[in-house]
Amino acid sequence: MVRAYPYLLLPHVLSSRNRARRRERGDFRRALLFGGVGIAVCAALFQGSFWLTGHLEDYAELGDFLLRMGLSWLFLTFLSFLAFSGVVTALSTFFLAEDLRLLLVAPVATRRLFHARFLRTVVQASWMVVIFLVPVLVGVGRAKCAGAAFYVTALLTIVPFSIIPVAAGTAVTLLLVNTFPARRARDILMLMGLLFAASLVIVLRFIRPEQLLRVESLPDLTAFFATLQSPITPLLPSFWAGETLFASLQGGRDLLHAGALWTTALASVVVVRAASERWYFSGYSRSQEAPKARFTRFGMLDVVARTLPLSIGRRQLLIKDLKIFLRDVSQWSQLLLLLALVLLYLYNFRVLDLSRIPYMSGFVKNIYAFLNLGMAGFVLATVAVRFAFPAVSAEGASFWVIRTSPITLHDFLWSKFWTAVVPVLGLTEVLTITANEFLGVDPFLKVITALAIVFMSFALVGLAVGLGARYPRFGADPSQVAGSYGGVAFMMQAVLFVIAMIVLIGWPSSVYLLQQLRGRPTSLSQDALLAICFLGASGLSIAIWLLSMRSGVRALQQMSD
Amino acid sequence: MLRVPSMIVIHDLVKRYGQFTAVDAISLEVMPGEIHGFLGPNGAGKTTTLRMIAGLLKPSSGRIVVNGHDLATHPEAAKMSLGFIPDRPFIYEKLTAGEFLTFHGGLYGLGEPGIGGRVREMLELFELGKWEHELVESFSHGMKQRLVMCAAFLHRPRAVVVDEPMVGLDPRGARLIKDVFRKMSAHGVGILMSTHTLEVAQEMCDRISIILKGRIIARGTVTEIRAMGAQDDDQLTAVFLKLTGGSALQEIDEIV
Repeated sequence: MVRAYPYLLLPHVLSSRNRARRRERGDFRRALLFGGVGIAVCAALFQGSFWLTGHLEDYAELGDFLLRMGLSWLFLTFLSFLAFSGVVTALSTFFLAEDLRLLLVAPVATRRLFHARFLRTVVQASWMVVIFLVPVLVGVGRAKCAGAAFYVTALLTIVPFSIIPVAAGTAVTLLLVNTFPARRARDILMLMGLLFAASLVIVLRFIRPEQLLRVESLPDLTAFFATLQSPITPLLPSFWAGETLFASLQGGRDLLHAGALWTTALASVVVVRAASERWYFSGYSRSQEAPKARFTRFGMLDVVARTLPLSIGRRQLLIKDLKIFLRDVSQWSQLLLLLALVLLYLYNFRVLDLSRIPYMSGFVKNIYAFLNLGMAGFVLATVAVRFAFPAVSAEGASFWVIRTSPITLHDFLWSKFWTAVVPVLGLTEVLTITANEFLGVDPFLKVITALAIVFMSFALVGLAVGLGARYPRFGADPSQVAGSYGGVAFMMQAVLFVIAMIVLIGWPSSVYLLQQLRGRPTSLSQDALLAICFLGASGLSIAIWLLSMRSGVRALQQMSD
Repeated sequence: MLRVPSMIVIHDLVKRYGQFTAVDAISLEVMPGEIHGFLGPNGAGKTTTLRMIAGLLKPSSGRIVVNGHDLATHPEAAKMSLGFIPDRPFIYEKLTAGEFLTFHGGLYGLGEPGIGGRVREMLELFELGKWEHELVESFSHGMKQRLVMCAAFLHRPRAVVVDEPMVGLDPRGARLIKDVFRKMSAHGVGILMSTHTLEVAQEMCDRISIILKGRIIARGTVTEIRAMGAQDDDQLTAVFLKLTGGSALQEIDEIV
């Protein structure tokens, strides 16, 4: 008897169940900490959307219009993330997963395998987006006093909305694996990074954020909103999802767009399934072919590393980490993506024309310096979770080489830290200094933010490397490591840390700025406040940095128990 | 007469996983130049013991001394004298063979000048010389296994722990490994080797310890072990099966 496709998901379900059942020391404390942080982030998202929607209510029709646009933008952003995530996840679930060898030698029809893998891809690619989306939508619903119908509609919207981009991503992966001349399937990730960067640029062009700051266009609101609507936007599922939810918020029903979502979702599954039945096996077969060992020697790395004042062991660790990083396309292709994000980010500051707000420009641009610091903090956290957090996991099955060698795990982890902190610090400093230069912020703030970045880099890279050592995933590829339990825990803690730093630096700095604006020197008590807050910020950073590293080293040492 | 210090000494070694005792108060000595075979059926505790000696697993109790250095109190010094060859050759796929060995040497304090020559010497010894500048990911299983052996002998260890050395090697590779092990032992290196291939044990080992359910049940030279058999001309396989309860294998015919 041929069992239905969910049977193929049984190993994952059972593995998850067994993982959940496994009891370890400190489980409760961990659950409390991470559960608490998770609830706090969800509560903040809920509160934010509730507050914003409540305020938009004050603007009657304009408010409704902005809410409608907001929903469409929100879904548009998630759409691009889901599509990218779909491509990466599909590559892993359909072509690289270890258990495929077992399933493909078993008498399992391609169609059944597709259903099981696709379901897994959808869940794996979209769970994070859904977790962020739910509190936002509940916040909007509560603020608009929406009934149960809205929440049911939201559920019925999110499901097809997640399926469509993931199906598109799966199709792109299928196409790439079959047509890409380079036989190394993982190399395709590089292309995917570029694709995602390109899609982000497109999203940005759709949204045109700089338009919001053109004050002279504000009187002509209709024209302003008309510019936000591109002719392509109504053809995207994000628009359909936004419209469906907006209609439901108004107490009505938008069956046209809801229908478009569901029919497209089902049609895309049918089309991708047909394509999969036709081309899956040839693609899988190609991805299994022995890779041609083309690579760059990076001889210069050895020469440069020899000039550094390091012990032989540490120098060799550095050379090894850098060479592996540079040769593993799946790792550095993400750098391209990051570079695209950074360029967009700087571009935003370039197009900001604050002189159009004559009375406020001085103050506003200095406030932007803190927004910039926050953004740099989040970029830093993203880089850290992608590159520093997987540092220990990247050793993979080869970790025995380190553990049986006479190098201490303390030296090993600190080597990982220094290898990660130098480029991360360089990148974020360039980012912050350039953005502040474009804005022309107060010199005092330039120095403060540049210093803050140094402390934040050490703290966040230390936190990432430390948590990466506590929650390693030796079997997973780097992109999976970043999305693991430890990676999510890192992101949550990193966000809280960045917020704490902005408060600790921003609050006293705003006092200083106001005094500057009034043309008065700061008082003695204000100077003391400045000093206490800055000391607090640096103390917090140093504590997080050193404590995280210490707990990471301890976790590695306990690994052999 | 001055007693020659043992290269590997384990004393009352225990490893527990919760209620289960994988290794139960094992004691063992490997002398300089000795090849000591470590035999036992699957799940007997061989790999667990070897992983504890290599520093990959922490013993629940007991003591491990390598070349006079206690692994618990002086792990770096003990590891400096030890080479480890795991059963599965996982190595950094994105490094070339030469780079991997240079890196490995660096971990043991070997640097310029001299490391380049030593790397080439080891690669030649294990017939991997022409692969020095190729990525490990393009290597076959047997080549990876030989590369791991290069790494294990690179820093001139005084003791070597080997887990299943012949797995995945072709007859030529197996012969090469046997020759290298013999040469190393002739130079005074103590080798502790676990294996399932009883012919290998019979051919190479000076002494053999047989482990079952975490305990050593027999120890001696090949001749001494064979003497434990029912008949004098019993081969090692027959003795092994007798000691480890493998006679049940005879029922296979009936089942099949």
